[in-house]
Amino acid sequence: MSLWVDKFRPRALDDLHYHQGLSARLKSLAASGDFPHMLFYGPSGAGKKTRVTCTLRQLFGAGVEKLKIDQRVFLSPSKRKIEVNIVQSNFHIEITPSEAGNYDRVVIQELLKEIAQTQQVDLNAKQRFKVVIINEADSLSRDAQAALRRTMEKYMSNMRIILCANSTSRLIAPIKSRCLLMRVAAPSDEEMQTVLSYVARRAYFDLPPEAAQEIIKDSGGNLRKAILVLEALKMQSPDLSGPLTIAKPDWETYCQKVAVLIVTEQTPARVMEIRAKFYELLSHCIPPTVILKTIAEAVVSQVDETLKAEIMHWAAFYEVRMRIGSKKIFHLEAWVVKVMSLYKVRLFLEF
Amino acid sequence: MALFAPTGLLGSSLDKPTEPVPEAGPSFTLNGLLGASGSSSGPSNVFTPNGLLSEASMSSPAPEAPLGAGPTFTLNGLLSASQDDDDDPPTVAQAFGIPAPVSDYVPSFSVKATTFDGKTVYLRRKPKISHARRTVALGGFTERMGNLLDVPIHRLMEGLSVDTAAKLQEADREAAASVSDPEVAIEDTLWVDRYRPRQFTDLMGNERVARETMTWVKQWDWCVFGKTKGKKRPRDDDEAFDAADEYRRPREKLLLLSGPPGLGKTTLAHVVARQAGYEVMEINASDARSGSVIDDRIRPALESGCAVGSTKPVLLIIDEIDGATGAGENSNTFIHKLLQLTSDKPWKKSRSGKGRDPNAKRPILRPIICICNDQNAASLVKLRAHALQIRFVRPADIHTVKRLREVCEIEGLKADSRALTTLVGIARGDLRGCLNTLQFIKSRNQEVTETIIRGATVGMKEAETSLISVLNSLFTPLTRKRVKELGLTEAEETKYVGRLSREVDGCGRESSIAVASFAHYATLHQHDANFSRYEKANEWLVTFDLLSATMYSDGDFALSQYLPYTLVPFYPLFKERSGQRVERSQADWEAAVQTRANEEIYKSLSRCLQTASTRRGGDFRHLVSTPILQLEFAPYINRIISPPLRPVNSQVIKPEERALLSRLVDIMSTLELQFFQERAEDGQLTYRLDPPIDVFVTYDGKRAADIAVSRYAVRHLVAGEIEAQMISRKVDIVERAKRGKHDFFGKSSAKKAGDGDAFSSPTKAPDASDPPNKRARTEVEVVIDIADKPPTDFFGRLITVPSISTTKAAERKNVEKKYRVSYKFKEGNSAAVRKPIKIKDFM
Repeated sequence: MSLWVDKFRPRALDDLHYHQGLSARLKSLAASGDFPHMLFYGPSGAGKKTRVTCTLRQLFGAGVEKLKIDQRVFLSPSKRKIEVNIVQSNFHIEITPSEAGNYDRVVIQELLKEIAQTQQVDLNAKQRFKVVIINEADSLSRDAQAALRRTMEKYMSNMRIILCANSTSRLIAPIKSRCLLMRVAAPSDEEMQTVLSYVARRAYFDLPPEAAQEIIKDSGGNLRKAILVLEALKMQSPDLSGPLTIAKPDWETYCQKVAVLIVTEQTPARVMEIRAKFYELLSHCIPPTVILKTIAEAVVSQVDETLKAEIMHWAAFYEVRMRIGSKKIFHLEAWVVKVMSLYKVRLFLEF
Repeated sequence: MALFAPTGLLGSSLDKPTEPVPEAGPSFTLNGLLGASGSSSGPSNVFTPNGLLSEASMSSPAPEAPLGAGPTFTLNGLLSASQDDDDDPPTVAQAFGIPAPVSDYVPSFSVKATTFDGKTVYLRRKPKISHARRTVALGGFTERMGNLLDVPIHRLMEGLSVDTAAKLQEADREAAASVSDPEVAIEDTLWVDRYRPRQFTDLMGNERVARETMTWVKQWDWCVFGKTKGKKRPRDDDEAFDAADEYRRPREKLLLLSGPPGLGKTTLAHVVARQAGYEVMEINASDARSGSVIDDRIRPALESGCAVGSTKPVLLIIDEIDGATGAGENSNTFIHKLLQLTSDKPWKKSRSGKGRDPNAKRPILRPIICICNDQNAASLVKLRAHALQIRFVRPADIHTVKRLREVCEIEGLKADSRALTTLVGIARGDLRGCLNTLQFIKSRNQEVTETIIRGATVGMKEAETSLISVLNSLFTPLTRKRVKELGLTEAEETKYVGRLSREVDGCGRESSIAVASFAHYATLHQHDANFSRYEKANEWLVTFDLLSATMYSDGDFALSQYLPYTLVPFYPLFKERSGQRVERSQADWEAAVQTRANEEIYKSLSRCLQTASTRRGGDFRHLVSTPILQLEFAPYINRIISPPLRPVNSQVIKPEERALLSRLVDIMSTLELQFFQERAEDGQLTYRLDPPIDVFVTYDGKRAADIAVSRYAVRHLVAGEIEAQMISRKVDIVERAKRGKHDFFGKSSAKKAGDGDAFSSPTKAPDASDPPNKRARTEVEVVIDIADKPPTDFFGRLITVPSISTTKAAERKNVEKKYRVSYKFKEGNSAAVRKPIKIKDFM
């Protein structure tokens, strides 16, 4: 039994609920027979991967849905074993090179060459090429991206690459110029409303529009999150009656708490308290950049107008440093101390 | 006088009686006397030996008896005479050691002698040996006597005195030499070795530590030496034994001695081991210390109980254990193996006889002492839990100074105690360092004064410093005492950068210092109105992190020389004279451990997702990717799997609840989430979620408020259902394997038949057909019957075959199943009409 997110995922381009223009373009591209490399980008939960799958289906037919999932082991230059999960059908292969961490270059080089150097075996295939989907392309290392760029040109006859990324900013320009860029924007509230009611209908229950609005407001354009919330809601209170509480992820609630702590008191003791909370968050494997961003937003919503810009400025400042650095907790605390001191100075000026 | 002169001459050594001999001349003929005693000139004697014997004391005939046997004199006579001459004490024959030669002359095997008390003594003859000895002794004697005679006695005496004088002079010279340059002559050993304590009572300073160590070693007595020893008096520490251990070993089978260098840890271990009657086997950093060493060398030695060629039981000392491999998770590291070694279970006493497995590990019955400098070393984490830890601290300076002064006295080094105190202060109690310094000073023939000490110990204070001490000097100013010890001036004291950066550099663990400073600075109680100091401190920490991250990621270790300087600013910012000592905070470490544990859980969750996606045709695969799994999937799946169910019997459950339950069971079994029964510490049964993904909604030890705590009964119900589902799935797989062939053909034909877009309708079909199907299932039975399930392919999708092929396949199957026709051709019946006929006609 799949979750609703997967169960009611549209399979064909025609079934997609929003961005119809995009669907039409993809359809004509698939029909033209001259399919380019593509880069799908857009926020998380906007439907990039769904669209990629639909496009593949448009290209090759239902055969792409016959998936085989296995694990490949690559050897790093230092003879360490790297395991990468591979999802493939007869016509395409889907990889997430960031699973290999620093050695994504090895995966890209070995796997892509291997695929690119073999021709399409299935004579009944609609297209002469195979497709490689690279997920989380924005976390590819520079080396891996460099390894990709030549491959993309050299093996154009055998292979097309579809990259999937949240933002194009971390991709090098040569890659971007080789791809057709497809922006998948987050759905609007109305679009999300239609999708949610569609899901409810398919799951045989009625979703009160107020509940849907609540969910949409909370999910911030992330449709996957919205559907997960919906399912959780349905499971927790099956009749959907009475006052509904939309479940927030726990880490988010926790970050809100930290923000409140920062704003209410600025003492060394409080710094220690917040530090303990940071440790707790980090130990739950929440990415530190996400922690910083969430808390910064929560703090900003609670402080005086004049401080907002400064707080965000320092959040950005420390996030950059955090990405470069290795000990994340130092940077988080440095930001907290900075914000506290700003806040104190502000209070001091007022009185 | 005259009579006694010969006695003196013969009885004592020859060189003495220079004077009386010539004087004795008148009454006696000196030549004659000597002639009588010397065998060579015996016959020419005028002198009657009998007269001599009767008149002189018994001491003179005694030597004569063997020597001057030549003349008229019989030995028997001598013996009888000695027996008769009762008054003069000197001669019992055996007292002079002459019986052997005497017996030589006696034909019988034993000689009968009578002492003055009238006791009869039988002297046995020892033929061979005594004979050999006699000849040697005789030969030597006669020769000397002969030479002596050749030289006139006064000359001889002169020579003797010259000799003696020479000898004395020699001794004098030697003494003088030893005073002037002892190092050249004797100094081939280090003082450290020469003054190393040899016995338990020599140990100095840490008496408590020494005693604790001894106590621990003594606790092994029962195990090592048997019950009798060490049981002489009942001890209070008997409860230290592990009751469960049949060998009565101490509870901690390892002893971990830790402390700064030079305080005598190794020495203590050796001394205690020797004192307790063990043979020491030492493994130190010079030996290979991989996991295999344990198996190859240590285990055999410990199992056999004693070293090769020794009868004493062995005691293993592992020196410098903090350098051994052991930090990794690998089970092959030295530390891990060592722990395995100690935790081997004792042999089960099998009642069934001698069925002992020869390959089974034998328990270790010998004590092991581990020695390290830093007890907090990462490699020792596991060891610490299993070892009795004894920590060396710097003994009071007065003890060290006293010992140093003793050494100085023995070595003839003039040292004032002020200088020695300074030395000990600089060396921080490191006795070995002190002794080496003193020896070095002595080699240059200097007196020990304070200035010389200062000169000799340049660099010593830069020796490797421990993490804690660096931290303390970062956060506390120098004490007056230390300033004095180092002999710093006021101006030098205020210059902290050089001193601290050197210290940080000397420690060599910048990142640990950074983490510890980070943990410590916020606990200080200094007023900081606008957080400016905190800001600065964090600025430096961030700078440190950027620098070190760049250094490690680019491998550019040239930057490392700047690292210490980024930590020094903590001193001006946070120094506190009366601040509490810096303790090493474990928060960072604990968080790291926790992170690792949670990462493992995420990994197992993503494995679950992958198997689910394999099974469900790639359905869950998009949820596995990194931020989505942590940020969205983990929190919500916890809510999805905790619906508000009431713990009621599954037979009387309400239909809507049953739907909920079956959906829950479906999801959980697809994701392979299970409830495992477990007995808690208080004996209560609980159900544990596995993999324990509920940690992701647990912050600060509290579960999220909006997730209902599922009760035991509910979990019990769900667990039962999941199990049933799992079993049915397994059965399903087995079934499918049985009819695998048909399935395969069916599928392939389906694929050929409907390629391309024609498939869009069948793929929708499962979605459409699933819900009603589910409802049907929930109403009928919870344990899903395979028969009720629509046939699915490997990925769990419904197999909907286009009608033509289905009917064909069905037909084929039907043909095989329904009409089983068997016929036999009867041979030999010639009456039969042979005619080609088709099977069809039979049907």
